[in-house]
Amino acid sequence: MAATFFGEVVKAPCRAGTEDEEEEDEGRRETPEDREVRQQLARKREVRLLRRQTKTSLEVSLLEKYPCSKFIIAIGNNAVAFLSSFVMNSGVWEEVGCAKLWNEWCRTTDTIHLSSTEAFCVFYHLKSNPSVFLCQCSCYVAEDQQYQWLEKVFGSCPRKNMQITILTCRHVTDYKTSESTGSLPSPFLKALKTQNFKDPVCCPLLEQPNIVHDLPAAVLSYCQVWKIPAILYLCYTDVMKLDLITVEAFKPILSTRSLKGLVKNIPQSTELLKKLMTTNEIQSNIYT
Amino acid sequence: MASRYDRAITVFSPDGHLFQVEYAQEAVKKGSTAVGIRGANIVVLGVEKKSVAKLQDERTVRKICALDDHVCMAFAGLTADARVVINRARVECQSHRLTVEDPVTVEYITRFIATLKQKYTQSNGRRPFGISALIVGFDDDGIPRLYQTDPSGTYHAWKANAIGRSAKTVREFLEKNYTEDAIASDNEAIKLAIKALLEVVQSGGKNIELAVIRRNQALKMFSAKEVELHVTEIEKEKEEAEKKKSKKSV
Repeated sequence: MAATFFGEVVKAPCRAGTEDEEEEDEGRRETPEDREVRQQLARKREVRLLRRQTKTSLEVSLLEKYPCSKFIIAIGNNAVAFLSSFVMNSGVWEEVGCAKLWNEWCRTTDTIHLSSTEAFCVFYHLKSNPSVFLCQCSCYVAEDQQYQWLEKVFGSCPRKNMQITILTCRHVTDYKTSESTGSLPSPFLKALKTQNFKDPVCCPLLEQPNIVHDLPAAVLSYCQVWKIPAILYLCYTDVMKLDLITVEAFKPILSTRSLKGLVKNIPQSTELLKKLMTTNEIQSNIYT
Repeated sequence: MASRYDRAITVFSPDGHLFQVEYAQEAVKKGSTAVGIRGANIVVLGVEKKSVAKLQDERTVRKICALDDHVCMAFAGLTADARVVINRARVECQSHRLTVEDPVTVEYITRFIATLKQKYTQSNGRRPFGISALIVGFDDDGIPRLYQTDPSGTYHAWKANAIGRSAKTVREFLEKNYTEDAIASDNEAIKLAIKALLEVVQSGGKNIELAVIRRNQALKMFSAKEVELHVTEIEKEKEEAEKKKSKKSV
């Protein structure tokens, strides 16, 4: 038990468990209605991997169906914009599937007719080298859906001879440091890699006590467990919406082995990025 | 720890932070960039124009506002908070003129705004103003001034400063490029402001708004054409500098 400043009494959480728990369990028995509701919710939150053209589900996981040597995953709108302008613009990419999922963060309640402008995960492979894959994920994958996503994409026994690169963003106020956040040169890039990743890294590694969250953390943990070489490039920024300077902070990655050979025309890509920014500007009058 | 001490403004955290004030400074970073430069005979305010919706009247979206004939300010942060602060400052400027029969000094009105902001960090039930302001002008003695205030109520005089999104990048640029030569002439000071903004503005000269005050003259807002002229001049100089560099290396 602990008292706080305002006089409210707050019960301190106890890891040993409390005596109350046993009494609660005896009183709860699952009714058929409870089961029905639980199953309905599970069906609603199911992660489905579909072939976009035929709208049929993929029977096996994506990387079991297609051999993969390189997999680049962009999570979040700034990372997605970076790959769209610099990587997808420099080659011919063919869509192989998309992951459809619904959770409380989705803006729509209709889980069946998600339009093409709705955010979800799309998977592409390079036509000239079909073992190179790319994933553009601009939706939020909830904690209970991350495992399903990993299973549907990687499968239950993934191959080890592929390299995974993940790009994502995080707000700079999440970055724990002894300096004040005002003095940080945001946006800045940090990296976190699995034990099997041996290539040189183009930016400093993420220091303790900072941690990675959400889908990028799930993918990285999965790769560490299965001994797959993987690296996460995390951009800390103070502008979470689509922003040119944040996207350009990913540029050092263009020179690494992960993206080697996939990027051709950088000036043209920069122009494309600027166009993407202007078409996506959200009007808000709160801040001037 | 932060979650227990950031709900009421009047509470210090055990390590001495006023979290609401620090969060207000984050709100400032959501506004677009504003830069202020104090020249020898001119003060310049440059801002990144917010993109205006199609049906919106552009004249009502202003980041640079006159407080009196000889003082003006640019802000970054919450629009509504800025409106309240500007109104209070404008009333104070006129009240001062009527009471003391003298126009306000730039330092006086800055102190007034800063005191107002500080009051809101020490009252119960109120939150701080989520804006930082750059206040420029000339005093009666003819000396140019530039002051900056922030949500905590502090104010300082600056030779050149930036507030809002990417302020750090712009400030670093100014630290490297603010020299006595760079501000020697009015034109050079204006170009320095534009160059600093071009570092972070997303679509070039079209999105820059500029205002200057020259000694004994009223505030002048630059038209889009005038800004474009300066931008093309800067781009030409850049090209020439690059040509010289490539000639030297050859």
